[in-house]
Amino acid sequence: MDTSRSPLEPSGFSRKLAATIIIVYMVVTLIPITWIVATSFKSVDSAISYPPEVFFEPSLEGYVNLFTNRSRQPKEYLDSLPPPETWYEELVRSREMVITGPSKFIGRYSNSLIIGFGATFLSVFLGALAAYAFSRFKVPLKDDLMFFILSTRMFPPIAVAVPIFIMYRKLGLGDTHLGMIILYTVVNLSLAVWLLKGFMDEIPKEYEEAAMIDGYSRMQAFFKVVLPQAMTGIAATAIFCMIFSWNEYAFAVLLTQFNAQTAPPFIPTIIGEGGLDWPAIGAGTTLFLIPVMIFTVVLRKHLLRGITFGAVRK
Amino acid sequence: MATVELQGVTKIFDKTVKALDQISFTVQNGKFFVLLGPTGAGKTTTLRAIAGLEKIDHGKILFDEEDVTTAQPAARDTAFVFQQYSLYPHYKVYDNLAFPLRSPLRKVPEQEINSKVTKIAEMLKISSKLNNKATELSGGEMQRVAIGRALVREPNIYLMDEPLSSLDAKLRESLRVELKNIQLNLGATILYVTHDQAEATTMADQIGVLENGKIAQIGSPEEIYNNPNSIYVANRLGSPKINIVKNSVLSSIISTNAYQLGLRPEHIKLGQGDLSASVKTVEALGAETVVELEYNGIEMLCLYQGSFDGQRGDNIKFAIDQSKVLFFNEDGNKIL
Repeated sequence: MDTSRSPLEPSGFSRKLAATIIIVYMVVTLIPITWIVATSFKSVDSAISYPPEVFFEPSLEGYVNLFTNRSRQPKEYLDSLPPPETWYEELVRSREMVITGPSKFIGRYSNSLIIGFGATFLSVFLGALAAYAFSRFKVPLKDDLMFFILSTRMFPPIAVAVPIFIMYRKLGLGDTHLGMIILYTVVNLSLAVWLLKGFMDEIPKEYEEAAMIDGYSRMQAFFKVVLPQAMTGIAATAIFCMIFSWNEYAFAVLLTQFNAQTAPPFIPTIIGEGGLDWPAIGAGTTLFLIPVMIFTVVLRKHLLRGITFGAVRK
Repeated sequence: MATVELQGVTKIFDKTVKALDQISFTVQNGKFFVLLGPTGAGKTTTLRAIAGLEKIDHGKILFDEEDVTTAQPAARDTAFVFQQYSLYPHYKVYDNLAFPLRSPLRKVPEQEINSKVTKIAEMLKISSKLNNKATELSGGEMQRVAIGRALVREPNIYLMDEPLSSLDAKLRESLRVELKNIQLNLGATILYVTHDQAEATTMADQIGVLENGKIAQIGSPEEIYNNPNSIYVANRLGSPKINIVKNSVLSSIISTNAYQLGLRPEHIKLGQGDLSASVKTVEALGAETVVELEYNGIEMLCLYQGSFDGQRGDNIKFAIDQSKVLFFNEDGNKIL
């Protein structure tokens, strides 16, 4: 029997059990993602073949199709063209098509980036200011206001889709980046305020007081001393806000069409010849996963760094 | 450095609790003033009011006769050492020390900051830790950094809120001496809050004793010790504590109309005189011994120089130095 173990450490059995549960959970969640990534590297034919192909010859067709518009041409015309200059032109030619121009994907993708990061930044920034005020100042009706802020999330945001649609049309905010940033900020803000207030409450007020005595205004103290210590909370809040704004589908379908359309409503509409172009959709989805994954991994170290309020004796 | 004066400062919390009640005192430029009192007497609130962290409800605060009652904390130019050392955990020790100098109000050039920080770090013996993160220090080091962060500046006044209370006894003693030396060398004005009488008597030029938000007495450590104007004040200084006894107990030797008498333990002389008591406990401290006597049904502590060779149950003769006895009335106030 292993007697060297401290009673605070989990036993070998519970470690193994934990690992097993995590692995099972991982497999369950990763299968769809793996399938999408695999599909993105299939050819159009193998993507829809039955039975599904688990082993296949990888192809970049999906990615080429995602980024280009193509048109089918008669063989005589293709033969009359000069030989293809790039590998992707060659790939398209081999399917008896020519590239007619770039697709809308890059535009939609940048819309997603602008709106996603814009809304995240704004939610976290405004949320931090509000949370600080609620945490430190005597705000009249503080508890009622906090409840009111929370209550804005007690119904699904889409429940107010119609009024927002009409309002946005009247205000000229429909299909604009600003409109979408404002909308996602509004939806995220209540979560941001609540999450950040908890973290701000944990930061002893002595820090700002020390900074204010040291010759800083309250605002300067907030940025120099409070915000850096709220990094854990800010990172957690930013991840939640980012995931929501990045993935939001319903409002994006409803309110955006051309100018500010984000990637989620765009990707499923990628149509190839004779139906949906599954490899291109897989490619779009795969690329769509990357920013939010990087964002989470980068901020994760702040999450894990955790509660290291060491320099104040409590 | 400035002379800091409080005139009738009153602070009321939640509309009913009088934290400070008509506090008036003056910290002379270059002096070490200690506010002494138990928890809840209003010591910290007084400091916070001077720093501008608490708005006061009545009264005035003057820095060199200039009214700063409504000024913002940054504008008052005070330096505060908190009880919880509150170093900025995301900064290195160096940046913690440089933080006040980098304030937009001061705009000290980096070169000058560097020389000041280096000097203070040497003085407080934390030079080797300058590149450590604030969280990688021991308690004593953190507290020295916190004191250093105050000392890099030349503010109107240094406000210190029990800065040594979280340290172990040995470190506390050495920092106490260091702090007094620094104060003398810099000619600094310091208002220091503590409930520790040893800190008060060893460092103070003047002591102000606080009682429930009021000033009970102000004076030099000797005055407070020898001439306390109430039992409350008499209890604040002296270890072991002063003996307070009813006049009836000692009526055979002292005739007075005072209701209570105060006897310092060192003024009870053992082994002489003609009073007789029995020994209850003996507590050897090395150079001195604290002996608890039972006399006329009451217990009295006395301080015996050297080692005491008696034990529990012994009968012993003692005398009282009558010129040193303090007289108090029923309310605990001193009678002249």
